[in-house]
Amino acid sequence: MNTHPYLRAYMAGTAVPTMMLLVVLTAFLIARYTFHIPIPIERAIIFPMALVPNIFGVWNMFYLWLRPRPHLPIGLHGAILPFILAPIGFALATCSGFLAATSGGLVWFHEVVIPYAFLAAGFAFALIAYYLVWKYLVSFFNEVLGIG
Amino acid sequence: MTKREINKQEMDKKKQERLADLLKHSLTPMNRELDRDLWPKMLQRLDQGARNRNWFAVLFSPSAMSSVPWFDWALLAALIIGICLFPRSIPVWLYQF
Repeated sequence: MNTHPYLRAYMAGTAVPTMMLLVVLTAFLIARYTFHIPIPIERAIIFPMALVPNIFGVWNMFYLWLRPRPHLPIGLHGAILPFILAPIGFALATCSGFLAATSGGLVWFHEVVIPYAFLAAGFAFALIAYYLVWKYLVSFFNEVLGIG
Repeated sequence: MTKREINKQEMDKKKQERLADLLKHSLTPMNRELDRDLWPKMLQRLDQGARNRNWFAVLFSPSAMSSVPWFDWALLAALIIGICLFPRSIPVWLYQF
């Protein structure tokens, strides 16, 4: 399997967020209809559905391109991604009207208040999550598709 | 040595030679080196074994789990504890995925 390695890298990269999309959608539906958190699903789903899988795919293609050159291990390579995704996500959420920056902190979905003090901790957790996902899941799919 | 004894000795010698000849023909010659490389066949068998297994089973197999270093388990534990302490942040997490 030596053909189209970048296409395979893209597919391996998109696999995890595409699978996660079902979990995300289910959780959004439960949050909205069971716990009555006013999540505008049709707007909130744009980022995890349209952007995140594509960016994962492109980031994995970039990893493949870096492979013959000096590069970071795949876990750390993935842990860089929140630095790109978080600003895009925040911008999109603000434009879509379900994220507001107030004096008390960031208000998500008009309900969930995250104080600014917790933002750094939250971002650190995001780095950990991405590190683990890339090190174990994306790397696994890379191996399955013969580019590991 | 009598003539009879000489005859007997010759007969034994002939018998031994015949026996040696039969043995030589019945046994295949032994190669000191193998006439083929077994490693590609071994790789093929390993690959076939891996293909037959479900990818989900491979991902969560005991051997895969045991190869995870302790600090990655610690990071996963920290992540789970963080989510348990702040369950209302779950939608935000999911949004970022």
